[in-house]
Amino acid sequence: MSFRSLQFVAALLTILPRAYAGEPLSGPLSGPLSGPLAQPVPGPLSDEAVLGEPVPFHIESVRARYTNYDQYGHGFQSQAGPLGGPGSERVTVEQPQIEVVAKQGKFTHRLWIPVDVVTAASPDAVDVISTASYRNEAGSIDLASTYQYDPKTAYQLRAGVHLEEELRSWNFGLGVSRSFADDNAVVSFSVNQVLDWFDQFTVHGVRQSRVFRSSTNGNLSLSQLLSPTTIANVSYGVTVQTGVLGNTWNSVPLDDGTIGAEKLPRLRHRHALAGRIAQYLPWHGAIHGLYRLYVDNWGLWGNTLEVELYQRIARWLYLRANYRFHHQTGIDFFTTRASVDAPLRSADSDLAPFFAHTVGGLAVVDLPFRGSLNQLHLDFGYDRYFRSNDLHVNVFTCALGFRF
Amino acid sequence: MKRVVILVGLCLEVGCAIVPQNRRVHLADPMMSFETDAMEAHKKQKFYNSREGAAGGDGAPAGGGCGCQ
Repeated sequence: MSFRSLQFVAALLTILPRAYAGEPLSGPLSGPLSGPLAQPVPGPLSDEAVLGEPVPFHIESVRARYTNYDQYGHGFQSQAGPLGGPGSERVTVEQPQIEVVAKQGKFTHRLWIPVDVVTAASPDAVDVISTASYRNEAGSIDLASTYQYDPKTAYQLRAGVHLEEELRSWNFGLGVSRSFADDNAVVSFSVNQVLDWFDQFTVHGVRQSRVFRSSTNGNLSLSQLLSPTTIANVSYGVTVQTGVLGNTWNSVPLDDGTIGAEKLPRLRHRHALAGRIAQYLPWHGAIHGLYRLYVDNWGLWGNTLEVELYQRIARWLYLRANYRFHHQTGIDFFTTRASVDAPLRSADSDLAPFFAHTVGGLAVVDLPFRGSLNQLHLDFGYDRYFRSNDLHVNVFTCALGFRF
Repeated sequence: MKRVVILVGLCLEVGCAIVPQNRRVHLADPMMSFETDAMEAHKKQKFYNSREGAAGGDGAPAGGGCGCQ
């Protein structure tokens, strides 16, 4: 080591402790170090100093999603086929949605407008809705407001209306969530009420009257951080439905060679218990698992398993592959040929015993920006749903979103 | 019954784990969220609710609409 090097090291050893102590410096290195290092450390900054002045009303994000469903299959409830045999369940659905999220002080508002344009073979065969039954438009407006009461507690209020050609529906909900143990655990509870008011038809398409259905739903959920890479969630939901619980034009083949209307109970209580876990993987990936048990008083049991595998490709791009398995027993009164005087009967293939599989994937792009636009979101996905009683569906979806 | 009590006890014990705020960087990744996009969740929920009798009953009210989709 040269003499000049030794001089430099000695000067550093002399100056650095003084600089960290905030003392004014002098000597050969005093020029560059006498500025910021010599200043006393300022006190803690206020929220306003870090985040800026609070904004009274601010659009946080705008997002739009478009989904297309293309369904093929056959079911005995459909009349789009031979008398007494399974009819077509051919359906296409175009489903645009738009969502706007805004902040207003301690409130977060979410306005959501989904639209369904359904083109279905089955109702057209019955012609239940004048001449326009082949194509049916439906839309909803839903507004949810969340009030952040304190850093641990949030309350939510939501209300919405759904309009369909022969159906009017209103929904209303309340929810509360509270975090515990430094946000390691979050408990949520919500109740929802849906009222449906719709036309009743015979299976031959004759309008009879207006009928009513009520659905009351309660949910309890617990999320818990298990480790720095693991989150778990358990939830229980119960729904009690009363009134006319079918669409009223589903038909049932009868043993005398004719068809009759579905006969369903006027009360249904449904229970669902689900457990979910998400695990971060060391190669910038994640895996999610779900198991769900369902039971209701119509004799239907369901078991669902779902696995999602995520892989981050770049800071702004990740991919998801997903698989879902579902098995359900049929309802107690499911039949493909009922007796004329059966008190309860349904040939609806959705209430039959079957196995179902969904395989799909999603690509998500989140591009960061500077300025008023913080993030641009894009995603593209595809799912293939197929089940053991002759139904398969292709689902395409894409979304575009802006975060401000 | 004894096994159930032990299982619940183990779950509660695991549930008491505390993860400090400065060790949650992986948990904050959007990939770790159970529901990243409410509209995608709706799409999924409506799809299954209208095709499977054993879907619904949790998360959101089931049975609204005719289910003919």
